[in-house]
Amino acid sequence: MAGRRVLAAAALLILLTVPAGAYLKLGTRSGGSTITLRWREFPVRYFVTNDAVSGVSPQQFQAAVARAFGTWEAVETASTSSEFVGFTEAPPFDEDGMSVLGFLERSEQSRTLAATTFLIDTLDGRILESDIFFNSTFPWSTAEAGVTGRFDVESIAVHEIGHLLGLSHSALGETEMVSGGRRVIAAEAAMFPIAFSAGSIQDRTLTADDIAGISDIYGTTDFVREYGSISGRVTKNGTGVIGAHVTAFNPGTGKIVGGFSLSEDGRFTIAGLEPGPYLLRVEPLDDADIESFFDASLDVDVNFNVKFYERVVIVPRGGTAGNVEIRVTPR
Amino acid sequence: MTGRRKSGRSAAVVASTVVLALGGSIAAQTQPPRQAARPAPRAGTWEVGGGGAFVGGYDLGDRPANLSPNLSGGSNPFLLFDTSSDIGVAPGLQARLGFFVSRSLLVEGGLRYAKPELTIRATGDTEGAVPVSAVSEVSQYLVDGSAVWHFHNASFAGGRGVPFVVGGAGYLRELHEGNELIETGVEYHAGGGLKYWFGSAPRRFGLRGEAALSIRDGGIDFEEGRRTVPVASVTLVYIF
Repeated sequence: MAGRRVLAAAALLILLTVPAGAYLKLGTRSGGSTITLRWREFPVRYFVTNDAVSGVSPQQFQAAVARAFGTWEAVETASTSSEFVGFTEAPPFDEDGMSVLGFLERSEQSRTLAATTFLIDTLDGRILESDIFFNSTFPWSTAEAGVTGRFDVESIAVHEIGHLLGLSHSALGETEMVSGGRRVIAAEAAMFPIAFSAGSIQDRTLTADDIAGISDIYGTTDFVREYGSISGRVTKNGTGVIGAHVTAFNPGTGKIVGGFSLSEDGRFTIAGLEPGPYLLRVEPLDDADIESFFDASLDVDVNFNVKFYERVVIVPRGGTAGNVEIRVTPR
Repeated sequence: MTGRRKSGRSAAVVASTVVLALGGSIAAQTQPPRQAARPAPRAGTWEVGGGGAFVGGYDLGDRPANLSPNLSGGSNPFLLFDTSSDIGVAPGLQARLGFFVSRSLLVEGGLRYAKPELTIRATGDTEGAVPVSAVSEVSQYLVDGSAVWHFHNASFAGGRGVPFVVGGAGYLRELHEGNELIETGVEYHAGGGLKYWFGSAPRRFGLRGEAALSIRDGGIDFEEGRRTVPVASVTLVYIF
């Protein structure tokens, strides 16, 4: 049994990604195919460390984490649940059979606010344990309205718990290069890999992209029956494009859900879409480090022009709109 | 005796015919000549028709594709691109079957089919994507019932032209391209037009021209609420 278990890398260093996702789901390779990482048993039982940091007591931290779990559990089209077991001395990132969330001092990771690790069954993708650490090097807050200059525990917990539940990063955002890294100009997913500025509480709220993703993994019967998907290919000069970011925009609701082409023939699937007409747009992955999304072995193509698909794509209820081919041109 | 009785009957028949002829003549002199020459459809007459229609389009509205801004840089949404959408005007086909309840009142049912295009125009992409007008086809069916009131006293061209008003309601069924997604609604319409009959026989052809406003609730729409669509049609009709 021990041989089947692997302590996976931190979520910020993505494992494998599963193409049949609303955007990106975490996956693992088994028998030549990639399977989605997911919890098979609910509630997810978690512990919280009893370490405090400046401005945040263990109790405040636990309450913020509980609210973040609650945000995901409130998604009507997905079925997840969690249970706070208690405070613990055990640190995150130990392979101890306990899912632990808490602060750790990681001053050497100067650009990492938090990270998530997994213990998984590599045969079936079952998540056995998942730990989240919050880097105590940064200033934190749990204040209801946020505190300028301090990162909001609840917002970052929403993002990391998304990982804990099996989601990878979304590319629905725009960034700019500043000294010391990238700065987010705008984003439309709590799962965008770069956090909003310190003091922001924006990521406490899930977007359509986040909801589609979690519903794709833990969708209710109603979700499967009432929502649909789009699948197709992104090609350049007749060959598939790997790593293209494809977004589906619903002009009726204004909601945007993204996905990626993840295979050599450029195939993509965007699931968790409300039925209706959609406009598709494809762009290269140029607003975050590629390693934030994909395994380093993936030969991601960013050398093409942004393009809209020329046809309106109709997403059926409970079905898939297929046969979409978006032909992009080299830059 | 027999021969006289026969003669007498013949005389009586002739006499009554004259009276009827005179009566008809008197009536003809006191009524407008067209009514005598063009007997209108009566209660119990059927009308069947088929023809073409022109169904107006409607605006589906503008919708930006926005990203939530990093509030440290301002509160305005970040515009990824902008869109505007509409359902285009479309030719259609229709068939109708009606029954004259009275000389002036026709009740009828009909089916109309049209195939408009749904267009989403994307412009102003933040990363310079070429603007596009993405389209898909819609199969639009309308099953309706109507009441038609004819104004015979306003007829013209010797009774061949008869104006009418029409009103009714219907069931709207719209199938998106691929026929896997259906949107339904209700429809109400009111309008008017003109029928022009070819000849005056009890069974005859005619042309029916009509313009109406179609008020629709449901079907393909990005906003809640009713919308009004102009509809014009020309139908070849036959009464029997």
